[in-house]
Amino acid sequence: MDINFSKEDLAFRQEVKDFLANKYPKHVKEKQEKGISLTKQDMIDWHKSLYEQGWAGYNWPVEYGGTGWSPIQIYIFQNELAHAQCPTILPFGLNMVGPVIYTFGSQEQKDKYLPDILQFNTWWCQGYSEPGSGSDLASLKTKAVKEGDYYIVNGSKTWTTLAQNADWIFCLVRTETTQKKQEGISFLLIDMKTPGIEVKPIITIDGDHEVNSVFFTDVKVPVENLIGEEGQGWTYAKFLLMHERFGIAGVPNQIFSLKKLKEITKGRIDDDLQREIAEYEIELNALEFTELRSLAALANGSHPGAESSILKIKGTELQQWLTDIYVRSAGQYILPYEGPDGFDSNSVPSGPEYSHTAVSRYLNFRKTSIYGGSNEIQKNIIAKAILGV
Amino acid sequence: MNLNYSDEQLMLQEQIAKFCSADYSFDKREKIIANSLGHSIEIWNQFAELGWLALPFSEKNGGLDFGPIELSILFEEFGKALVVEPYLSTVVMSGYLLDNSSVDSSALIEEIISGTTHVSTAYVEANSGYDYLNPQTQILNGKLNGNKSIVLNAKHAKYFIVSASDNSEMLIALVAADAAGVSFNSFRTFDGQTCGDVSFENVDISENAILFKGDEAIAALNEMINYATLCVSAEAVGCMSETVKKTVEYTKERQQFGVPISSFQVLQHRMVEMFMEAEISKSLLIKSMLQLNSKDPNALKTLSSLKAQIGKSGKFVGQEAVQLHGGMGVSNEMSIGHYLKRLTAIDSQFGNRSYHIKKFMHL
Repeated sequence: MDINFSKEDLAFRQEVKDFLANKYPKHVKEKQEKGISLTKQDMIDWHKSLYEQGWAGYNWPVEYGGTGWSPIQIYIFQNELAHAQCPTILPFGLNMVGPVIYTFGSQEQKDKYLPDILQFNTWWCQGYSEPGSGSDLASLKTKAVKEGDYYIVNGSKTWTTLAQNADWIFCLVRTETTQKKQEGISFLLIDMKTPGIEVKPIITIDGDHEVNSVFFTDVKVPVENLIGEEGQGWTYAKFLLMHERFGIAGVPNQIFSLKKLKEITKGRIDDDLQREIAEYEIELNALEFTELRSLAALANGSHPGAESSILKIKGTELQQWLTDIYVRSAGQYILPYEGPDGFDSNSVPSGPEYSHTAVSRYLNFRKTSIYGGSNEIQKNIIAKAILGV
Repeated sequence: MNLNYSDEQLMLQEQIAKFCSADYSFDKREKIIANSLGHSIEIWNQFAELGWLALPFSEKNGGLDFGPIELSILFEEFGKALVVEPYLSTVVMSGYLLDNSSVDSSALIEEIISGTTHVSTAYVEANSGYDYLNPQTQILNGKLNGNKSIVLNAKHAKYFIVSASDNSEMLIALVAADAAGVSFNSFRTFDGQTCGDVSFENVDISENAILFKGDEAIAALNEMINYATLCVSAEAVGCMSETVKKTVEYTKERQQFGVPISSFQVLQHRMVEMFMEAEISKSLLIKSMLQLNSKDPNALKTLSSLKAQIGKSGKFVGQEAVQLHGGMGVSNEMSIGHYLKRLTAIDSQFGNRSYHIKKFMHL
């Protein structure tokens, strides 16, 4: 056993640091450090800089244009990005639909979609949840009926993150009404410009427009946009969810956020809160090493399994705990609201700087224990797959 | 980074696990506790034959020179079986001090390794709390005077290793249990072990009985406590994983309302929470043993985080296990309550959760 990174891993880390020092777009970096929201173009610039470095497919195999990095290298990469306060790498193309396409798609589909995903020429969104299908995802009702060379899609999707920016959506649709509800589901790629698609914003409790409703009315989708086999969509969806959960613990970002919290609250908070921060830090250390244990297992050739559910549950609980500590560290200075009728960057209220984003982060992060399969669903998975009950 | 045990370590683990399941059943443990010794000479001799009593000693003293990783493996398995044999006090604690003293203790270590002799370390006092570095016990003019508390396995110790002060610096001395002026009161502990109050009244201490002095004494005592902390934490991780396993098994068998109670989602989720607590504790155990092994500068901070986490997770897992066993959980006949007892005892030893959170903050 050896807890230290190998010489090769350390050299790799230096390579990532060099990239971040020299090639991380300056205008994005500045906004990130000042806490200013990024535009769509900023996000595209950020992803393009990764692509130009050859690192967009940081978790993809080499044969599809990925880096072929080991789990430990991916871990180091994500850590360095978090410490440099980089924006998140949007998961919808690179972590979600990309792996589904290169694992289950046809050669034509691989050729058509993968290069654009890597180059971030296309912005993807995820069409899973529906107004009536949350945790019981397989009960989804959006219908795709085959007519000649097309599927005619009718229904609606909800909680669709950043659909307002998206060029494409990957959808779970019902192609057949079967006894077992999982068996009639198919995996369809849909161009957002197709007539009959309407995107409506949903404003969340933090005041932000991040998620949307997407409505489909007689949307014509070419049959060649079906991934794999008709009726096998559930299998692909489960594969994708497993990938989605990986890295969902957000450990690197939490480590950075904790460091910042300690700096900004120095001398400002009472002993009780300092003690609570220590309690949080201890559990974060435990979570970090739990993730390293599962990375080490992955590096040994095992597949991501139900263990990723532990990371999802514990990771999101800790994320929420941290945003809660931020709020309580700021006391009454959290009150001024940023947004319409509130303050903006030209009229910042008095009080500690961090207090102005504390509440919106706290409110925003309530979603983490709900999305990606709610934590209750994750517990069902662990109970069944690991405890065997 | 490599988080796999070596083949040698895996063999050790398998050997201990096999022994515990074949020769240390819960019924047998109950019988061992019930006899007046409070542990088993037969089992102790088997430990000696298997070479386990030699594990942490240096080669020059006839040991195997194994470190934090192997000790953690041993104690994790001990925790699963709730082993009450005084390995911690004789081999880990006293063993560490004897092995690292500049006074030659090879003859006594040989006796320990062969299984014939127990040695207990007397470092806690009635008013010391977790501050072990300011003993009231004194050695002045060659005479030892003072009282020690919670001396593990005091009744069977042939020697005591005693922390004291000469009014200017700390001393750690080796004292024969049958020396004139030594007396003790032995007690059962609630978790099936034994400890005692030991009094020293004008006990003669020769110069070569002083194992450590001054800064060396402080360093040795601290280091010994660190090792012991790691060991009981590993034991707690073993206790927790076994508790989770037993609780899952029990709920699958226990029928209520015509179905196994494991089919109730509310119980499933509680067991998942128990499982996660055990897993994240194990993560900190692995991190901690590896950092201690490589003498990492953050090792002590991680060790405190481990002990703090064990305090919280151990309590949670132990209490939930009792609750999920219902009335059987509070019955002394069932093993499950004994895991709660041991986990409760472990939190109290070598600094509890509260103590280690403070230590973590200041390191």
